[in-house]
Amino acid sequence: MQNGGSGTDNEGLLEKFKNLDFMKMDRRTFIKAVGALGASLFLQTYKSDIAKALQLSETKVVWFHGVMDSGCTISMLDGGSPDIVEFLQVYNLKLLYHEVLMMQQGIFVDGKPANTNDLNSEILLDEILEKEKGYVLVSEGAVANGPQGSGKYLMLGGRPYKEIYAKAAKNALAIVAIGNCATNSGVNAAKSDIVELMDPRGIAFTMEDSSKGILDLLGVEKPVINLTGCPTHPDWVFLTIGAVVLGKIKVPDDLPYVLDHWKRPKVFFPPDHVIHDNCSRRGYYDRGEFELTVGGPKCLWKLGCKGPYTHADCATRHWNGHLNYCPQAGSPCIGCVQSGFPDSTRPFFVEIEKTGIVGTNINTIAGVAIGGALLAAGAHAVRRTVMKRPEDEGEVAEETTSEETGGEK
Amino acid sequence: MVQVTVDPLTRIEGHYRVNTEVNGEGVITDAQSNGLQLRGFERLLQHQDPRDAALLAQRICGVCPICHSISAANALDQLFGVAGQVPKNALVMRNIEQGLNYIASHAAHIYVLWGPDLANPAYRDILAKYGDVGNAVWKELSGRFAPLIYQLNGTSYPAGSSYVGAIAEFRRLHEAIALIAGKMPHQVLQHVGGVVYSPTVADIGQIVGYVSKTMEFVEAFTLGVSPDTWVANTYKASSPQKAANFVLNHLKELLNKSLTSKDFSHSAGWGDVPLFAAFGSELIGEKLLGLPISMKMDLAGAYKDPNKIGFLSYGVFFKPEKGDGYDPTSPADSRVIPSGYMNGNFKLEKFDYKKISESTHHAFYIDNVEDRPPWNGITVPEEDPGKIDYTKGSASRYSWSKAPNYNGIPCEVGPLARMIIMGEPLVTGLVKTFQDNGYYPVNNYTRMVARMQEILVLYSELMKWLTQDLEAGGKVAVHTELSMAKSSAGMGLWEAPRGALGHWIATGPDSMVTLYQAVVPSTWNLAPRNSQDIPSPVEQALIGTKISAAGNALGVDYSNPLGILHTARSYDPCLACAVHTIDKTGKHPDYTIKIL
Repeated sequence: MQNGGSGTDNEGLLEKFKNLDFMKMDRRTFIKAVGALGASLFLQTYKSDIAKALQLSETKVVWFHGVMDSGCTISMLDGGSPDIVEFLQVYNLKLLYHEVLMMQQGIFVDGKPANTNDLNSEILLDEILEKEKGYVLVSEGAVANGPQGSGKYLMLGGRPYKEIYAKAAKNALAIVAIGNCATNSGVNAAKSDIVELMDPRGIAFTMEDSSKGILDLLGVEKPVINLTGCPTHPDWVFLTIGAVVLGKIKVPDDLPYVLDHWKRPKVFFPPDHVIHDNCSRRGYYDRGEFELTVGGPKCLWKLGCKGPYTHADCATRHWNGHLNYCPQAGSPCIGCVQSGFPDSTRPFFVEIEKTGIVGTNINTIAGVAIGGALLAAGAHAVRRTVMKRPEDEGEVAEETTSEETGGEK
Repeated sequence: MVQVTVDPLTRIEGHYRVNTEVNGEGVITDAQSNGLQLRGFERLLQHQDPRDAALLAQRICGVCPICHSISAANALDQLFGVAGQVPKNALVMRNIEQGLNYIASHAAHIYVLWGPDLANPAYRDILAKYGDVGNAVWKELSGRFAPLIYQLNGTSYPAGSSYVGAIAEFRRLHEAIALIAGKMPHQVLQHVGGVVYSPTVADIGQIVGYVSKTMEFVEAFTLGVSPDTWVANTYKASSPQKAANFVLNHLKELLNKSLTSKDFSHSAGWGDVPLFAAFGSELIGEKLLGLPISMKMDLAGAYKDPNKIGFLSYGVFFKPEKGDGYDPTSPADSRVIPSGYMNGNFKLEKFDYKKISESTHHAFYIDNVEDRPPWNGITVPEEDPGKIDYTKGSASRYSWSKAPNYNGIPCEVGPLARMIIMGEPLVTGLVKTFQDNGYYPVNNYTRMVARMQEILVLYSELMKWLTQDLEAGGKVAVHTELSMAKSSAGMGLWEAPRGALGHWIATGPDSMVTLYQAVVPSTWNLAPRNSQDIPSPVEQALIGTKISAAGNALGVDYSNPLGILHTARSYDPCLACAVHTIDKTGKHPDYTIKIL
């Protein structure tokens, strides 16, 4: 079902991967691909697929910014293989609207839209909303629903962003939500005295609640692909949109197979793989050597690292030119790709089993507590517990459930 | 009277609107600056473990996360009582990370956000009046600064060479940051008591390599001369006059060659800065260099009443010479770019953080007190959708941004304020040149030159921190326990690339956060009016500015309001920052953070 790729290891890996549908690859094949080839070479193996895209017809992309800090757009500018300009070119994408990268702005003279769509983004936007269909809607940022369902906590061109978003979503082919503000409302929906008043919504989820996405509220049904992270990784975005454009993922038919419970591509957010599995500090963990103050080389578990609970390929893919990732740089992982981030992963500097974090599955805590207790018994026992994964054993490990790992039910 | 509104102002961070009244001569007579988005960010830090702030608070802004992270870490240093012991190496690491982000952030603003307006078709038409030379200059402007999405009359312009090149350098500098800070944006280096990573010799060498590589771009594209030559003759010049003369003489030499060759390309020595410096200003280009035409950026975005404006810097970059620890109140002599307040007549005073207050008089918040210090803030947002209305004019409430003041005066913050408070020779020399020639010295032109020049200032300092001050493998943090934050308070004064930034934090007996406040640069620059109805810096800068390109050189065109676009964007707006915290419940009406 979920496994499009075959599992044999040896010769001709590169050739094999060329023919694979990478979005459907299982975790083990994927990790092997990255491990064997290195992250940037891994991307290059799809060059032949990418070349085909040039023969494809143009795909239109509309890119919206809601309630956010533009960090995901910045992360896209930090993408290197391909970079954002190459990305648009090689996949033959026509970026119709992107507030940070466009010449236009909203211009009104005595309240009426002035000039043409060459310089006026509001005229351009109205044309898109009225005429365009079948575009990919890239959604960055949450949708403000407050106060009182008016959406007026974010206005653009004199209208609530919520109204603009509703129109744009209706005519989209698919929605790619990038970054936790869009996928789960992220920091905007974090617990606070005012969050109910603000009422910021993610696209398909608000925090971990699938009944509170803005699409449900608007009564719009569209296929959604979530790429979480605060920010999200440019590879995740470019490769996912690329896979859709190339027909490597057929929308919506393939989505139930390639996405997890949180609507994220399993290839990047493997349900059965956590950052801890490939952490560069893993050797210290196996020897039971932990840091108690920041600044040293050892395992960051006791400083609150959420790597053992966080489902993403950060430790193999790395960030910013595939250079580094948080625990390697000395910081505990704060679980910024988790759907409940930041509430499900804070306090950041307290071991998760000591936090009593709301929304953390009790089974997970138990499983990890067992892992912690076993440390005294030595690395071998620890490894057996922690490394016990469904794929390795051909069964579902008891301490994990599909709910918190995002696996299939 | 014509109403000209820009909504949304794109190519900024966040969501922003400017509304103006324009008279029959095409001069802006009234303006409102509207922050369009309520985010309530600081409230999610309340009731939480204070240590998280160094990582969470940066999510206020994806363009300049590092300054928020450092401001928060500075506030935590004081909160935990360890500001006096933070190892020197950690302070140098903060400098280096912040310096790299300043250069990246300024490059993003100059090339990706602000630069595309130089490729506005109005300049094609204006420059065309100057024949072959004008057409050659337009070819450079559109060929260098066209953004990714740009078409005119159905013809797409390819993204400009400088624009695309700058994105690559932006990416490179973020790689340099990620090398020591995990990833970017939303790095993980900063922590209470220091930083979490001690660099290796290889890291230091690699960062020097990244910076040197970026300086190759600066030489080939930005300056047209070597950064070291530029720094030696401007930032390190013996007087402001000498620094200004170096640039003027350099422009003269370039023009002598190119007015006959009609070659204004990068390879002919016309870096982006010289091209802008010569053709951007009426005084420099037309009056001093004898060009028949210019973009007249110096006539726009100026302050007309020196009694209603000031310039403020909280001070940024720790002086490594001071060793371990630092004073959180930011005395001028402890920071590389000093703290200070300069009034509208450019008289410098010592900075006193106690003179900062915020007004909600024209913002969508309900408060019966007109001005409060940020560490005593209560803010109750408008909950009635019917009252969230941006169209009711200057007397109404019209923004989600509050209006900060220093001693009751709105202040410009950012590179220009920092450079004149620092006495940086080139910017000081240019400001004086404008003053001596009867121009308003602070305008869109000097504001942009200051941002460009700060890149070179930072390059010079960065290389020193990397090669002289940073110790590989040195101690980078003091040990802290949560209990050290019991019933305490802290203040983190710093400078974002866009200007003065302060984070204030207080905790209760359980060490959890009771109050968090951030006063951010775009709140200073892009506020609504204050409680005395004094317009904010951007509003003052808009009023009196001509609505269309080059001082209405082609006549009045309300539908292409470059006067608004250049002026508003010259502050590098960052609205996600500027939208402020709110307290719906009023549960904490009189929390006072007692500082020191």
